[in-house]
Amino acid sequence: MNMVSFYPIRNVVGFLLMIVGGMMLTCIPFSLYFGESDWKAIGGAALVTAFAGFLFRQFKPKKGNNQVRKREGYLIVASGWISMVLFSALPYLFSGLFDNPVDAFFESISGMTTTGATILNDIESLPKGLLFWRSLTQWIGGMGIIVLTVALFPLLGIGGIELFVAEAPGPTSDKIHPRIQQTAKSLWLIYVSFTGILMLILWGAGMSFYDAINHALTTMATGGFSTQNASIAAYNTPLIQYPILLFMFLAGINYTLIYWGLQGKLKKVWASDEFKVYLSFVLIIGIAVSGSILYHTDLSIEESIRTGFFQVVSLITTTGYVSADYTLWGPGTTMIFFCLLFVGASAGSTSGGIKLVRHWVFLKNTILEFRRLIHPRAVLPIKMNGNVVNVKILSHIQVFLLLYLALFIIGSFVVSIMGLDFETATSAVATALGNVGPGIGKVGPTDNFAWLPNNVKITLSFLMILGRLELFTILVLFTPYFWKSN
Amino acid sequence: MNIVIAGAGDVGYHLAELLAQESQNITLIDRDEDVLEMVSNRLDVLTICGDCASPDILKSAGVKKANLFLAVTTSEKTNLISAILAKKMGATKTVARVQNQEYIEKSTKANFSELGVDSVICPNKLAALELQKLIQESYFTDVFDFEGGKMSVIGLTLEACSPLKNKTIRELRVSSELNGIVRPIAILRDSSTILPEGSTTLKENDHVFFMTNDRKKLPLKQYVGKENSKINRIMIVGGGNLTYSTAKMLEKDFNVTIVEKNKDRCNFLAEHLQNALIINADPSNMDMLEEEGLEHMDAFLALTPNSETNIITSLSAKNHGVFKTIAQVENSDYVHISQNIGVDTLINKKLIAANNIFRFVRKGKVEEIVSLKGVDAELIEFELHRDNQLTKHPIKDLPLPKSVIIGGIIRNNSGFIPNGDFQMKNGDKVIVFAMPETIPVVEDLFR
Repeated sequence: MNMVSFYPIRNVVGFLLMIVGGMMLTCIPFSLYFGESDWKAIGGAALVTAFAGFLFRQFKPKKGNNQVRKREGYLIVASGWISMVLFSALPYLFSGLFDNPVDAFFESISGMTTTGATILNDIESLPKGLLFWRSLTQWIGGMGIIVLTVALFPLLGIGGIELFVAEAPGPTSDKIHPRIQQTAKSLWLIYVSFTGILMLILWGAGMSFYDAINHALTTMATGGFSTQNASIAAYNTPLIQYPILLFMFLAGINYTLIYWGLQGKLKKVWASDEFKVYLSFVLIIGIAVSGSILYHTDLSIEESIRTGFFQVVSLITTTGYVSADYTLWGPGTTMIFFCLLFVGASAGSTSGGIKLVRHWVFLKNTILEFRRLIHPRAVLPIKMNGNVVNVKILSHIQVFLLLYLALFIIGSFVVSIMGLDFETATSAVATALGNVGPGIGKVGPTDNFAWLPNNVKITLSFLMILGRLELFTILVLFTPYFWKSN
Repeated sequence: MNIVIAGAGDVGYHLAELLAQESQNITLIDRDEDVLEMVSNRLDVLTICGDCASPDILKSAGVKKANLFLAVTTSEKTNLISAILAKKMGATKTVARVQNQEYIEKSTKANFSELGVDSVICPNKLAALELQKLIQESYFTDVFDFEGGKMSVIGLTLEACSPLKNKTIRELRVSSELNGIVRPIAILRDSSTILPEGSTTLKENDHVFFMTNDRKKLPLKQYVGKENSKINRIMIVGGGNLTYSTAKMLEKDFNVTIVEKNKDRCNFLAEHLQNALIINADPSNMDMLEEEGLEHMDAFLALTPNSETNIITSLSAKNHGVFKTIAQVENSDYVHISQNIGVDTLINKKLIAANNIFRFVRKGKVEEIVSLKGVDAELIEFELHRDNQLTKHPIKDLPLPKSVIIGGIIRNNSGFIPNGDFQMKNGDKVIVFAMPETIPVVEDLFR
């Protein structure tokens, strides 16, 4: 018996591609406005993508089970993401911007997974339409397009929860509404309106309209693509850097909490342990780094605090914007930034990485383990937000952490063999797996990924997708259990 | 006064007993015929067999003319339903006993009174409050407050090195530091009650009840003869609802360790308590209790459902040098033996609940009533509503029975310990200590 029914997968993936094609069309006005010729490439890519999507949806089998269950859910998300990143590379390919097709795919994957690692040496020379597409891929990938699709198009006839769990995973699954569709809609509404607000602020603060919209898109997605070669360092004014800093921080909060906050239920927000950990972690590391900047450079106090916090929030939320080269602030600080690649912000946010809630549960369990040694008969459960974390979730979190560590080690080993030095190899793998963007060594904040050999780029691309879908969604496809009936 | 009591369990029986002595008209409803037969053999009450949530049964119990309806079965849902029905059928005042502590929160109480339940009583909560008071005032074995602490009765046991030992009451009265703030009202010696007179001499192991108007400043602490040890670490064995309510109140200020046998119950406690340490083990395993630091504990509360386990573990805790031991007993007959066997305090939550409910019976003329453990007498608080013969003469000239003591007077929100020359006036709240047989006389005087 066939364990997986493929038609619903084709159906949804086809639909996704049609949406992606439609999204590409929104880049054409920018291209036309600036009088550039890249609209042809973009338009062609949009057509091909949409037509491919159309083809995917044809030939509905007459009989057979068309239900979406757990297996189909994982397959839809995995294949949906893979086809999306492949097709969103088409505008780059058609425009002939990259000589190397691997570069086009790397850039597209780095965008969709909100990593923000780029292979472009001169970003500003890119045609405006393509540059906008580059930012838009991050925005699409940030909140998760599959959730959007389920939210807006219930006609696909899919029970959304399987997809929701696979695309927006994490140890906590709070639903805002009893219905998944309403939940997805609310999340996207917050996402869209925050992006709009940030865009207006940046525009008002002196960015051009075009730059404002690009930066708003990539900030809310915690992506980190900029339209400037120097990233945010190009705008060395508090008026622009503080709003971006604030919205990066907001994008790193669990969207469910933002929803409660907007509803005025601030008590509920404050009751969240993860939020408190997030806030205090940002404050502690931010102050430490700001102090270190003040010591190592001759920046003023305000500038030290601004760049210090900006870089810390940028890395914790896995955005990857660069407002200064953090590798120049002393070896201790560089080490801090290497460690930040493994942190991640809150679960249920657009940030990538391990996420603080996992670290927190792991840390609490570790501390309790010592207490258990002294009181062997004591009942010492781990609590989050006043509720006991059940054993299943605890084991899931511990497996995730170990798996993440294993993938980091294996990945570093593989790219080392491919010729990278130790510092570059480890930080490139960490930054790809955590969807951060910049690393240290030769992939530091002022460098880019263009010089890497093809095989390294492909390895890192794979790690980025693994990281974005939080390991399990992709890895489960490689297990025999997925394809066997028992 | 017509009183209907639903449920003839420990609480119901104890209430019926208290009330029957006062010659009230009591109807007792219960499902169990055997229990009712036992009750009607002992007490002068009318018994009705049936479900107290049934309108028919309520009707035949005469709730229509009842001044007070007390629903005290073990099932809170039955209690609430029968109280609501009774109110709608004409009962003047209804009281229901509940288990769920959410039901005694203010907002819920308001909802219930809208439905017809005038008061809800939670025995666990009442017992937990009493335990908290005993822990906070650990020198005393009993503490009762009147009018929010304006007047209190405290009980304490004189140890071998107490400076009060071998002193007479008269010597105590003239001692300047105690004069005017403390009055001994009863002495419990070898299970018999002695009403103190001037010539009575206090002896070692006497359990003395004092009336005082300032328990916070009381110098009695050092008179107990125990070392002044401050309580910090508390061990509770048994993880029932009483433990849960008590630990919830105590865990903020003390180090609480709870020992419970049942694993699921441990998980529940661990989930709902913030700071307490929950140990999953059999409380009767002394080796384990020692390993968890029994001898370093300052207080030991035995709250398992089994009275004998509670008493035995408390005794061995005492042997390990625990300063304060308290045991819960289910059997109310055990309550009287505590001082003789060496456990500091025995508590029975049903007695506590019954005493608490008893207040409602007297509402209007009686503010508060307290039964002292082991003492065959009651403390009753009256309010003087008009001038009568009591207010015309000083206390020493009043025609009071010999065993009646005017223990304290609350006037204008401050408490006084009256001497013979004190004269009462309208508006005073008077705390009277009286033997049961003299209560009707006293009530007549104060009416």
